[in-house]
Amino acid sequence: MRNEIRSLRAAHELSQQQLGEAMGVSRQTINSIEKERYTPSLPLAIALARYFERTVEEIFHVEVDH
Amino acid sequence: MSKSITSSRWWMPLFSLALGLIMFGAFAIGGSVGDGVFAFGVMAVLAGVFAIGATRSETLGWLGGPGRDERWAMIDLRASAAAGLVLILAVIGAWLYEIANGRDGSPYGQLGAVAGVAYVIAVAVLRWRS
Repeated sequence: MRNEIRSLRAAHELSQQQLGEAMGVSRQTINSIEKERYTPSLPLAIALARYFERTVEEIFHVEVDH
Repeated sequence: MSKSITSSRWWMPLFSLALGLIMFGAFAIGGSVGDGVFAFGVMAVLAGVFAIGATRSETLGWLGGPGRDERWAMIDLRASAAAGLVLILAVIGAWLYEIANGRDGSPYGQLGAVAGVAYVIAVAVLRWRS
């Protein structure tokens, strides 16, 4: 799933370690989300959205075939 | 995102040592104290690997306790399913080998039955709870 985590984290001048600690997950998990290898759970997606003061839809982009 | 006792860096080292003691006890009861000492030694080395390696390796950190999060839970679930599948296939293979050689297939038939029943019960319980 495409997402804006890397750009938002960079805009907030945060390291992956710092964001991981803020979210209660490992640095590697933040890295996997940024590389779009891992789709976070709904609670973590909401926590990330609240942390960056965005909506979940603004951060995570689901491509749906119509 | 919750913390539990299994998230402690000492969880897996202490679990390994406890398992080693139980293995030693089982061997000792069976009259093989030497084998028990060897088994405990192996588990003690494993405990040391977890205690030292958990801070240097993500995989060892996950296996050992610290660093566990929701991604670990997903990987743990898939790894457990893969290991279970391999085990079931091995049991079925061994069972077929045994009956093809004129034996009754014990204990592989019983183990396969336990796995099958456990799977059906797990599906039923998980479906009921979700």
